[in-house]
Amino acid sequence: MKWLLDYLLKIKPNFDEGQKLNWLYPLYEATETILFSTDAKTKSAPHIRDSIDIKRVMILVVVALIPCYVFGAINIGYQNALSFGLERTWVENLIFGAKTIIPIIVVTFVAGAFWEILFAIVRKHEISEGFLVTCALIPLTMPPSIPLWQLFIATSFGIVIGKEIFGGVGMNIFNPALTARCFIFFSYPSKISGDMVWLVGPDGYSGATALSVPASTNSADAVSLLDGITQFDYSWINLASGWIPGSIGETNKFIIFLAAVALMIMKLISWRVILGGVSGLFAMSYIGTLIAPFSDNSMLSIPPHYHLVMGSFAFGLTFMATEPVTGSHTDTGRLVYGFFVGVLTVIIRSINPAYPEGVMLAILLMNAFASLIDYFVVKVNIRKRMARYA
Amino acid sequence: MSHIKIKKGHDIKISGIPESDISTGSTASDLALLPSDFKGVKPKLMVKVGDSVKIGSPLFLDKLNPEVRWASPGSGIIKNIKYGPRRVIEKIEVELDKDQQSLDFKSHSIDDISNLSKDEVLDVILGANLFPHFRQRPFNTIPDPKIKPRDIFISGINTAPLAVDIEIAMADDIENFQAGINAIEKLTDGKVYLTNKVDSRLSDVENVNINTIEGPHPAGNVSIQIHHISHLKPSELIWTIAPQDVAMIGKLFLKGVYDPSKIITVAGPGVKNPTHLRVKTGYPVESILRSNLSSEDVRLISGDVLTGRECTLEDYMSFYDSSISVISNEINREFIGMLNPGSSSSRYSLTPVFVSLSNILFPFTSSQNGNHRAVVPINSWERVLPMDILPNELYRSILAEDIEEMESLGLFECDDEDFALCSFACPSKTDVSGVIRKGLDMLQAEV
Repeated sequence: MKWLLDYLLKIKPNFDEGQKLNWLYPLYEATETILFSTDAKTKSAPHIRDSIDIKRVMILVVVALIPCYVFGAINIGYQNALSFGLERTWVENLIFGAKTIIPIIVVTFVAGAFWEILFAIVRKHEISEGFLVTCALIPLTMPPSIPLWQLFIATSFGIVIGKEIFGGVGMNIFNPALTARCFIFFSYPSKISGDMVWLVGPDGYSGATALSVPASTNSADAVSLLDGITQFDYSWINLASGWIPGSIGETNKFIIFLAAVALMIMKLISWRVILGGVSGLFAMSYIGTLIAPFSDNSMLSIPPHYHLVMGSFAFGLTFMATEPVTGSHTDTGRLVYGFFVGVLTVIIRSINPAYPEGVMLAILLMNAFASLIDYFVVKVNIRKRMARYA
Repeated sequence: MSHIKIKKGHDIKISGIPESDISTGSTASDLALLPSDFKGVKPKLMVKVGDSVKIGSPLFLDKLNPEVRWASPGSGIIKNIKYGPRRVIEKIEVELDKDQQSLDFKSHSIDDISNLSKDEVLDVILGANLFPHFRQRPFNTIPDPKIKPRDIFISGINTAPLAVDIEIAMADDIENFQAGINAIEKLTDGKVYLTNKVDSRLSDVENVNINTIEGPHPAGNVSIQIHHISHLKPSELIWTIAPQDVAMIGKLFLKGVYDPSKIITVAGPGVKNPTHLRVKTGYPVESILRSNLSSEDVRLISGDVLTGRECTLEDYMSFYDSSISVISNEINREFIGMLNPGSSSSRYSLTPVFVSLSNILFPFTSSQNGNHRAVVPINSWERVLPMDILPNELYRSILAEDIEEMESLGLFECDDEDFALCSFACPSKTDVSGVIRKGLDMLQAEV
């Protein structure tokens, strides 16, 4: 590949300061450093550096998302076949699903890249690879039936308002992918609030999601309600293995679990957030089951292990709540932050009548509170030190 | 005596580890002191070009503390005094003569030393112009000899990459070391702390509070040891000194001479025969490295690869440094490097994001291995900082220039060298140690 590098280095002077193409320098720089690892040298001590860089971090998260895409595509085909009553092999399902999600991916990346490059050129900074993760996450949080124009607007909103106006990756306070999801949620609520299933099926075909089943019936046991649904298989094992309608990437909890383990081993996401999140979810939903007999709210009777596999909690916790920039920055803070993501998810799901699903709002809320948690962790650290000094 | 176990940190497996024999380097024809090595010092010359000096003659003093003077490490003629911008003295070069005479001071028996008073000990050290070998915490500057330190800390273990093995360097110097300890013990009302590795040669030294430490770098850094043995409080002062310098002071008391020789390492992936070497303070880099470079395109570093100063062959070794490290400047640009699964021969990372099958020593280059980005806090700093300090918050308080906050977050207890591994490990290529230095300078200006 020497010829390509030589060619790139040959055209590099065209992008120098004062040259006609200088305004395109961020684009050139991104191309060169994506194709070939950088030739930047250390300017001061330490003179040697670790081989990891942000490009590597971001691309590994994207790689961890690929299985979610593949399963998502197969599941879209499967749900479609189910709704039409067709018999199809999984390859046919995959092909059908791919036809649905490839336009979604393309639109997201076009919108994301457009804004990222525009901001890089106008603000004269380097193109940040963070948008790759954002754009890889957005399609997975979307229903397969999402109109592409809505997706374009939502991605633009997520990238611009969620990230660029703060100065780009590392400066944002809300997760950009969730900001995009949130935008759609509130702008086109009839399509996306999560009370009706999303699938690519016949016109007028509809059904209740697993979470909206107990939400719409009073004074009943959630598990027996779910078992009573015949349109979809809402058994625990099927909710976990993901053969249910839902957003593209969030249905299969086993794949998400494996991705989470891989990312934790690579130390790219914090195990503290995951541990905190799962314990928060279990604690709050256990409290819910204790209250359930005294309430006519059937959502409260959902047992903890069902909460774990229902809706997008697993996906949100693994890929959104663990985002290092918008979460808490201290180790103790991460535990607390994760815990409240879990708690709030259950509270919004069970007690708020308007939204059957709560993980998105829980994470965005905790994004807002992350710095406050850090503030208290720092205060405790300072108080401990002052006690030592005294 | 206690045993400290450090868990956080990392020993960088860099190739070019020095042999354990001490070779005698070639003798140089000149040497130099670089006043810029001393932070916070306003140097005033005591010699001019053409003057002849002996080993131990003062070359310059600190205007702010005139009794602190710097001894010439060689005897000969002042060859050149180089000034930088705004007439800052950059270096004082001494052309060495053949017989290398040294100034004679009074010699003491080991029992005499124990009977000296604090002022007498200080007078001997100041009189021999060797006081600058002491440094103080906070700020890692040369202390004011008039103020008594709470304690004196000596780190008997070097954990920095390719650093001098103190066990090797001190092998023949235990007696001098003991004399040095007996002397500097007088300088404080507190204790003299020596932190060794387990089963060290220095474990039998007396009149000193010995602790043992084990664990990866930065376990050998004095701030880490102070942090774990006896916290430094904001109003207190601690002096620190390197073990080789303690032995040198011991020799001054026993023999009445200043022996400027010390043992350093010449090491790193860019060195043909990495080794321990006996040289003098202020030796020219060229005479140390002579024909020991493995290629032309290398970076020479006075000090270790994490905290050293980039230098050239024409340069001189910094005063406090005890190694010369050499790394290659040749950078291999991998095709689609960010997707490459990586192998242990081309990638080295504390964050396990590369496939690594063998445990080889890694030939580091001066490559930054990535471009600078905004901080993405994936905990890479916290994993290599064995102190009860929140590095991310401290870093941000310094960027915000919030003096009060940085003080309460414990900046007093740190030195920039403790954060070198944070800069090393940061995926965003943040200059953490540089920012910490900036914070320390701000804090020092304030107090």
